[in-house]
Amino acid sequence: MDHGGPGRGGAGRGGEPGVGSVAAPPRLLDQPRPPAPPQPQGPADAAKACGTGPKFPQKNHTSPQPTMADEIDFTTGDAGASSTYPMQCSALRKNGFVVLKGRPCKIVEMSTSKTGKHGHAKVHLVGIDIFTGKKYEDICPSTHNMDVPNIKRNDYQLICIQDGYLSLLTETGEVREDLKLPEGELGKEIEGKYNAGEDVQVSVMCAMSEEYAVAIKPCK
Amino acid sequence: MFESSQNVLLKPTESWRETLLDSRVMELFFTVHRKIREDSDMAQDSLQCLAQLASLHGPIFPDEGSQVDYLAHFIEGLLSTINGIEIEDSEAVGISSIISNLITVFPRNVLTAIPSELFSSFVNCLTHLTCSFGRSAALEEVLDKDDMVYMEAYDKLLESWLTLVQDDKHFHKGFFTQHAVQVFNSYIQCHLAAPDGTRNLTANGVASREEEEISELQEDDRDQFSDQLASVGMLGRIAAEHCMPLLTSLLEERVTRLHGQLQRHQQQLLASPGSSTIDHKMLDDLYEDIHWLILVTGYLLADDTQGETPLIPPEIMEYSIKHSSEVDINTTLQILGSPGEKASSIPGYSRTDSVIRLLSAVLRVSEVESRAIRADLTHLLSPQMGKDIVWFLKRWAKTYLLVDEKLYDQISLPLSTAFGADTEGSQWIIGYLLQKVISNLSVWSSEQDLANDTVQLLVTLVERRERANLVIQCENWWNLAKQFASRSPPLNFLSSPVQRTLMKALVLGGFAHMDTETKQQYWTEVLQPLQQRFLRVINQENFQQMCQQEEVKQEITATLEALCGIAEATQIDNVAILFNFLMDFLNNCIGLMEVYKNTPETVNLIIEVFVEVAHKQICYLGESKAMHLYEACLTLLQVYSKNNLGRQRIDVTAEEEQYQDLLLIMELLTNLLSKEFIDFSDTDEVFRGHEPGQAAGRSVSAADVVLYGVNLILPLMSQDLLKKYSRREVFCFKLSQKDKDKNKDPLEKEEKGVRVCLLVYSLTIVFRMSSEVCQLCLEALTPLAEQCAKAQETDSPLFLATRHFLKLVFDMLVLQKHNTEMTTAAGEAFYTLVCLHQAEYSELVETLLSSQQDPIIYQRLADAFNKLTASSTPPTLDRKQKMAFLKSLEEFMANVGGLLCVK
Repeated sequence: MDHGGPGRGGAGRGGEPGVGSVAAPPRLLDQPRPPAPPQPQGPADAAKACGTGPKFPQKNHTSPQPTMADEIDFTTGDAGASSTYPMQCSALRKNGFVVLKGRPCKIVEMSTSKTGKHGHAKVHLVGIDIFTGKKYEDICPSTHNMDVPNIKRNDYQLICIQDGYLSLLTETGEVREDLKLPEGELGKEIEGKYNAGEDVQVSVMCAMSEEYAVAIKPCK
Repeated sequence: MFESSQNVLLKPTESWRETLLDSRVMELFFTVHRKIREDSDMAQDSLQCLAQLASLHGPIFPDEGSQVDYLAHFIEGLLSTINGIEIEDSEAVGISSIISNLITVFPRNVLTAIPSELFSSFVNCLTHLTCSFGRSAALEEVLDKDDMVYMEAYDKLLESWLTLVQDDKHFHKGFFTQHAVQVFNSYIQCHLAAPDGTRNLTANGVASREEEEISELQEDDRDQFSDQLASVGMLGRIAAEHCMPLLTSLLEERVTRLHGQLQRHQQQLLASPGSSTIDHKMLDDLYEDIHWLILVTGYLLADDTQGETPLIPPEIMEYSIKHSSEVDINTTLQILGSPGEKASSIPGYSRTDSVIRLLSAVLRVSEVESRAIRADLTHLLSPQMGKDIVWFLKRWAKTYLLVDEKLYDQISLPLSTAFGADTEGSQWIIGYLLQKVISNLSVWSSEQDLANDTVQLLVTLVERRERANLVIQCENWWNLAKQFASRSPPLNFLSSPVQRTLMKALVLGGFAHMDTETKQQYWTEVLQPLQQRFLRVINQENFQQMCQQEEVKQEITATLEALCGIAEATQIDNVAILFNFLMDFLNNCIGLMEVYKNTPETVNLIIEVFVEVAHKQICYLGESKAMHLYEACLTLLQVYSKNNLGRQRIDVTAEEEQYQDLLLIMELLTNLLSKEFIDFSDTDEVFRGHEPGQAAGRSVSAADVVLYGVNLILPLMSQDLLKKYSRREVFCFKLSQKDKDKNKDPLEKEEKGVRVCLLVYSLTIVFRMSSEVCQLCLEALTPLAEQCAKAQETDSPLFLATRHFLKLVFDMLVLQKHNTEMTTAAGEAFYTLVCLHQAEYSELVETLLSSQQDPIIYQRLADAFNKLTASSTPPTLDRKQKMAFLKSLEEFMANVGGLLCVK
């Protein structure tokens, strides 16, 4: 639509080749992508069946052996990747993440102070455990490195709930059964939706070898 | 509001003439004060009376002569009251108010018309009091008193000095010089450590000093004492002959001492590494001295102007010109160009330009700092001093660097030779400053304020094209650009606001004058890596699968941060280029929004990019470009809304932070809406003319876009938020449904209007705890209501909905406690609503009044309401009337605000 302006649009392209030409490479993300791969029909049916009938043994051939509830399976995905990485205190940010007292935390408060007018900055951090909601605090010189947890989020489709555990279908078609139905409101919400036969997607957050369901969203 | 009412100036009518101009009346008040001054409560009242008399003006004076007589009389009375007595603590503020009133209210020609001896005594007295209050104020600080009466009095007197000397053509040249010297000296003395000064000395001469914890909330001295420093700087200019050499020698001497101290520490460290027996007291004293000297020097040499081009103060220019014949230019340049050497070691150092010598004294401090850093002594340095240095250099560079000769009647040869365009001096100093910036950014990344002041200096260097042209000739600049683009340490340790500003500076630099090839190369270094890296990441086959990997997330975050920085660099002459560049990214960002839909921190950052682009660019965009941006924003909102509809999540953080995304969206919509009242694109008629015949048919206003946008996110609010909150908004929601049903006629826009109002309304309740959101809502409401008023469709749902707001805002302003900062936003919205619904407004007032049982309160309220609308009857959407209304509203709040919201 802006081919007309000899003054403005034209100069932008021709006169400033530096910026103008950068725009050339093809883009894949021009349009909003269709959300996730289309859900296969089968598992959805399975989910419904699972809610009413006897348990289906079909998951065992896709995922190794996650049958024991307490066993958590880390062999999939990022094996060998470190669960935290260091970052200079000053580069941390509010609403970002940090490890405080060995727990992955979301930074809810970050302030600096110094001893005496000519002292060096210290950073005061208040974080909330992203899984338990417990509050932690720490204070350290702003030149120090702090550990930042690698946070991963995945969306899975809920297939069924049994014995307080969720059966979830991954994007690659595997089934996970090692995640607990969360306690509290979200748990109730998931159960309610599930019992009502609604299709739901569960967001699972993973940090420092722990993994929990943290959000749900109805599938369309 | 209440403070100013304490110092109301006295402007009685003529009928008071006989009473107040009777000299016996005035004398009576002085006598009363003399009698009761020992009683601190009564003394304050009598001084208050005298301060009122000191502000007498208006028709009471039949002619100038009577004004002169009155003033002379008053000053005589004042002097005889305070001369020779020891002033009580409780008198300090009162006396300074009297003097301040005299100087502010009486015109200069009246001041100079009183007997000259009397005037001299008055100025002597003022000088004496200023110095003495200054010392007492310093004592108060040492003792950490809660009630800083002398500080308040000192502030008032320094302000009076500023008023007095600013208009100095009524006084003969040099009249104030000696006084200025005294006040200046005493200020310096109070801020330097012994033996030169008296800092931290208590009355009996004992030094006291404790290391306290200082939080980031405490204002920096340069802001906290900016008024004092401005006055002292002004006095320093008047007495430049004395003050500039004084500052130079004090600074130079301390630089030498600092250098020595640091060297000794280094030797100590080398001799016995690991021992931590360093005495910081000596160093800290030096740092504090240098801190104050740099602040005063900064205020003396340059003004802090916002928006306009700062000029070299005329006093400084004159001073430099006056001495230019005695100055050896080469030696001066040598002093400037050798910050690593002692000034006094350069032969002929006394024949140098004082202005340049003073600057070079600060450069010497900077050099000692840089050398200490290179010697690994960073832990001994003061970040505060580092901050002072770059703050000074920024202030200085804005005014002096590449001085534009066209702006001055006369220009000093040394200054133009050293800092003029196309001089070696300016090229050298730009190189030096750039080096400093780079060193600071790598060493002080952990000190956010210092890093921030440093990038601000960098922005100053490139924001004006003339300077930028020189900057980009430095190899260091290119290195900096490359290093930042590579996202490697130490630059990636910087906090995100600093990184954004750095990006801004790098982009601004790209608009300097270069040949096409160089420009191409520059953008290849700066912007292209950003785009290439970004595209490489998002175009990977398995991006969806790896998007949660930490490296990928960091790459994306860094890109989004950089985009915010690029948007910040927008200026009217580069907006066309930057807009095209950013638009490509914005479209990609919408795709990212989909990929990272379950990662709130990334989602927020993406929205923030849109917020910044809209904030900085929308006002410059012509119609078709604005349409592109609108479309992008709406697509963003669509994706956001689709992904979040029905989403429920556990969030451990406080409620307010949970809704940060919504807050950002409101900000985005408000920024878009700002197009309605700030629009610089009108001149671009040519551009508009080329739009093939659509303009008339489908011109889209920002308000339409916002209405549509709000409509998109409203469902999120209603399900996620509204449900949880009290019956009130549910009621309101139903109400709007009813309105909608009644109006089946598919006037889509109107329906959206209702929903907007509903949203804003709900938000007001939902976010009552967050005044920030409430403020945004109110700001959004005003243009909506204005639009409604312009449409003049009194039966439209939008119109009906705004009626509910009248009540809401009325209640908020009149009946509830609210943040006073919000009064303006609320007031504007309120006024527009009153214009729309005058009858309803009267009804509201009636209802409120009729509920009052106490006749006195009733009367007070009725009067207050009458006064409130007196200036704007009938209310119309006229700016002048609106301003008048806002002013009345302030009075109204002061008058009856407390009366109603106490219950």
